[in-house]
Amino acid sequence: MEPILRIDDVVKKFGEVMALDHCSFDIEAGTITGLIGPNGAGKTTLFNLITGVLQPDQGHVYLGGEEITGKKPYEIARRGVGRTYQIIRIFPKMTLLENLMVVGKGKEKRMMERAMDLFRLVRLEEKRNDYASDLSFGQQKLLSLAQVLMPDPQLILLDEPAAGINPTLQNELMALIHRLNEDGKTFIIVEHDMNVIMNHCQNAIALNYGQKIAEGSCSVIQRDERLLEHYFGR
Amino acid sequence: MKIRVGLSIAILMAFLISVPFFATDYWITLLILVLIFTVYASGWNLFSGLTGYTNFGLAWFIGVSGYVSSLLIADYNWLWLLAWPIGALFTGLVSIGVGYILLRIKGVYFAISMVALTEGTRELFGTEYLTPLTHGGKGVPFVAGIRLPTLYWSILLLAFITLILCYKIFSSKFGLRLIAIREDEQAAETLGIHTTKDKIIAFTLSAFFVGLAGSIHFTYQNYIDPTFAFNIQLTLTPIVMALFGGVGTVFGPVIGATLFTFIHEILWAELTLLYMAIFGAILMGLILFFPQGLLGWMKEKGILPRSRKL
Repeated sequence: MEPILRIDDVVKKFGEVMALDHCSFDIEAGTITGLIGPNGAGKTTLFNLITGVLQPDQGHVYLGGEEITGKKPYEIARRGVGRTYQIIRIFPKMTLLENLMVVGKGKEKRMMERAMDLFRLVRLEEKRNDYASDLSFGQQKLLSLAQVLMPDPQLILLDEPAAGINPTLQNELMALIHRLNEDGKTFIIVEHDMNVIMNHCQNAIALNYGQKIAEGSCSVIQRDERLLEHYFGR
Repeated sequence: MKIRVGLSIAILMAFLISVPFFATDYWITLLILVLIFTVYASGWNLFSGLTGYTNFGLAWFIGVSGYVSSLLIADYNWLWLLAWPIGALFTGLVSIGVGYILLRIKGVYFAISMVALTEGTRELFGTEYLTPLTHGGKGVPFVAGIRLPTLYWSILLLAFITLILCYKIFSSKFGLRLIAIREDEQAAETLGIHTTKDKIIAFTLSAFFVGLAGSIHFTYQNYIDPTFAFNIQLTLTPIVMALFGGVGTVFGPVIGATLFTFIHEILWAELTLLYMAIFGAILMGLILFFPQGLLGWMKEKGILPRSRKL
């Protein structure tokens, strides 16, 4: 089967800095993959390249076998890629319901039903008519996840979904991700908390200085000497 | 509630339609100005209030459409009824191209580029190269042969249509997408919103309606010249009116345009020498204490519901 995402020899430079240095990997459909690496390793840059926010200087990105390199962000989004940001980027001066409706596609009534389902999923149905700016940080994170899910993407990129929220909410969030994964959604998760990665991802890809330094199932990665050195300075 | 609102609007409209039958020319003229600036401010708000792209080139819409229609009337003896929409359509079409180029520039740079476009066009229309077409800097005096009441009813109709359109757009999904662009354009884009397309549509609609009001404006003045048509005042006044009433609200610009025109008139008549100073003081007070405008303030205080339909 075609991988849902193929990164093929991608290079991205910012001036002299190699943000991504000939990076290649495949993501199989239906998996949860952790993307790890120290600050500045190129994780967010990679997300930006996949979603079309940035264009690679070299290399190709394929989605379900089709090349998407050079496509506009909205085109890539419409092909089924959803993405959250490290900083929460919802629309604060809209109500929660408007935040979802604005990105929905199709008939008003079906969109409304879908929005309500998503609110139940993230337990925000009571607050649907509040302004997004009135939510707590954790709730805003949940809203941004619901918003990303609204157009029903197949591949979902999450940039530090667990950062800055309390452990209970963190567990709920991860449980939600597993449930969606069982429904067939593919996830790539950037996370600094190694516990989150090890407990919740099947595979992991490690980046450092824009290069892929390790890749494999989490249990293998965990024993990788070179990686541990990068992470824990051994 | 709905019936009461509908009835109030019907009564207000009936009153406004009947104005020429009993009011003096002075009052009709004053209302014409209120209505022209209502369309300017609402048209500005339709694009800038929703998308957050501050358009400092409103006078460009006004001037281009004004010139096209005025020249059609003056040099080609067109009927005003045909010349006005042609001017506005032309402006709308050119705006698609302008939007395509300039709407990828964000923030203050977009604002500056629109000022530059307006100033550049003003210069261009006054040069000898375009004089055969535009009559250069000496301007174009003309008479369209339209009676004051007919002009009044025309602009009243236009203002009414503009407001209905704003009302529809502000509470539509298209309107929400424009607000999403204002809130976070890149996030909107990665959520699948074709931001460039939506921005260009809103920009073009704004150009068309503001342009149409511009055409009526210069027919009303019976005169057009580059300094007058592309005057920065024609950009700033509607923006201040929209700020005054409430940016991003449907009826804020109407309230702004109405109050502003009347205050302007009273101050001008009563305190000619102090008028600018007093006006400036009022403006500063408004921006300091009501930055969200009158309507925005009333929504925040709960005097009015926080609805996008207001």
